[in-house]
Amino acid sequence: MIDLRKRIWGAAAAVALAQTLALGWIVVDRIQLLRKGQEIVLPVEPVDPRSLFRGDYVILSLPVRRIPGSVPGERGNLKRGEALYVTLERNAAGDWAPAAAGREPPKGEPSRDRVVLKARMHFVSGTAKDLDVRYGLESYFVPEGKGKELEKLVGKRQVQVMVAVDRNGNSAIKGLVIDGKRIYDEPLI
Amino acid sequence: MLTSQNRLRGDLERWIAKGWVTPGGAEAIRAELAARRGPGLAGTLAVLAAVLLGFSAMSFVAANWQGLSKLMRLLLLGAGLWGAYGLAVALAARGLQRFAEAAVLAGVAIFGASIMLISQMYHIEGNPPEAVLLWALGALLAGVLLRSVTALTAAAGLALLWSAWMMTLGGSVHFAFLPLWAAIALAFHWLGAASGLHISLATLAGWLITGVVALAIDRGIYTGYTTHCAVLSLIGTAGVVGAAMVADRMPRLRAAAAVAAGYASLVAFWGLWMLQLLEPRADLVRLIVLAAITLAMLVALVAWGWRSGQRALVWLGYAGFSIEILFLYFRTLGTLLNTSLFFLVASLIVTCLAALALRLHRHGQSTPETRP
Repeated sequence: MIDLRKRIWGAAAAVALAQTLALGWIVVDRIQLLRKGQEIVLPVEPVDPRSLFRGDYVILSLPVRRIPGSVPGERGNLKRGEALYVTLERNAAGDWAPAAAGREPPKGEPSRDRVVLKARMHFVSGTAKDLDVRYGLESYFVPEGKGKELEKLVGKRQVQVMVAVDRNGNSAIKGLVIDGKRIYDEPLI
Repeated sequence: MLTSQNRLRGDLERWIAKGWVTPGGAEAIRAELAARRGPGLAGTLAVLAAVLLGFSAMSFVAANWQGLSKLMRLLLLGAGLWGAYGLAVALAARGLQRFAEAAVLAGVAIFGASIMLISQMYHIEGNPPEAVLLWALGALLAGVLLRSVTALTAAAGLALLWSAWMMTLGGSVHFAFLPLWAAIALAFHWLGAASGLHISLATLAGWLITGVVALAIDRGIYTGYTTHCAVLSLIGTAGVVGAAMVADRMPRLRAAAAVAAGYASLVAFWGLWMLQLLEPRADLVRLIVLAAITLAMLVALVAWGWRSGQRALVWLGYAGFSIEILFLYFRTLGTLLNTSLFFLVASLIVTCLAALALRLHRHGQSTPETRP
């Protein structure tokens, strides 16, 4: 039972304030990441609409989630859900591809053609020990009913996702690019 | 709640007749019961209303409605959050405790909806259970600072959801649950909430069971489960034995120990049942041994329930016994010869146990002061 104590107004304000600050902290953190992070653009494979707690969303399947066995780095004993640092490098054609994967963040500065993304281990497959990882960039939430519309677009055209990456490997979706045109550009708030 | 009040009304008549309670005292007790009943129902409805409001907030978020900008939606939920806690204080000031509890619950629900809105706004896929952890921490904070049992109950449920989700994703035991669980249990104790013991133990039992089920699924149902289920049973059995020892040595804690024994036995039997359910049919000897252990433990539980006057434990034991027998009945319908052999052995065991139960029953009747 709630006790009517002297400081109950203070206590209620403290609860509301603490919860608001927790929410605000996530928002500020995201805004910082989106504003200051390095921008990279990754290709996306066909997607399908699903519905969950947070409403309709489309699954973005990123080809960079597959790390071939030939890429140097950690292979043995990786547990599902474990954190991995994946180095992406841009090739001559301008496409990003995994260049290394490891438990520890790699040394060396990121550059225009080299970024490090924090990922989570999903599974290892095949004798070549190909890794399948998740970057936390796989869900794009859309207004109710818009999922199908977007899906049709993705089937026919080249879709890319614009991502902001900070120095610690955190990443956030900035928006979608369809046929080189920025659509669904995300306002900061 | 209503039934216990009705029983108390009946008891009051008897107590007046026996001269234990004065008619004046009985009148005062009845008046207080009557005063409690009205707001009790209204308060319960208010809690249900808060739950509905919470789901309304969550579906509002899920709709991702474009009629309001993201910022406006966030501000709307923020205003709802502050409004709910403000309302809780205003209601508590008027003595409407359960309404205030409902308002706190609404605040906690809006906090959860806000987390979902933000992760939707920024397409944060991340690790979804972590959002549930943040929600649980917010509920715990509200429970402690506002001394709200309802908020603590929500925190316990969310903590279990967080950990169960982690275990399902990771396929390993998630020990990080325990400190959070301990903090919530401590908060219940600090508030002196009677329901806290049940909620704490139920969530702990739920965590143990979910953990073993997650492990069993991860390792493959028919290969890696045995040790885990056996450990689950041993933990439960240790809990029952520990509770019995506490009850014997510290009479003050006897009621609490019986509650603990109830949940611990649930854990123990869950492990035993999983072992028996997942047992490949060929290994009949092992199944018989497991069934014998289960039945013996159930009889011991019933016996202790009688001896210590804990009716709930007796019923738990009877229910478990019926389930076990029924399970054996269906389980042994394999080959006819095996079935026959199994029923012969099972019937001998059950006959012995029945004789034992009869003796214990008589023992219970001969000492009426310890009967439940």
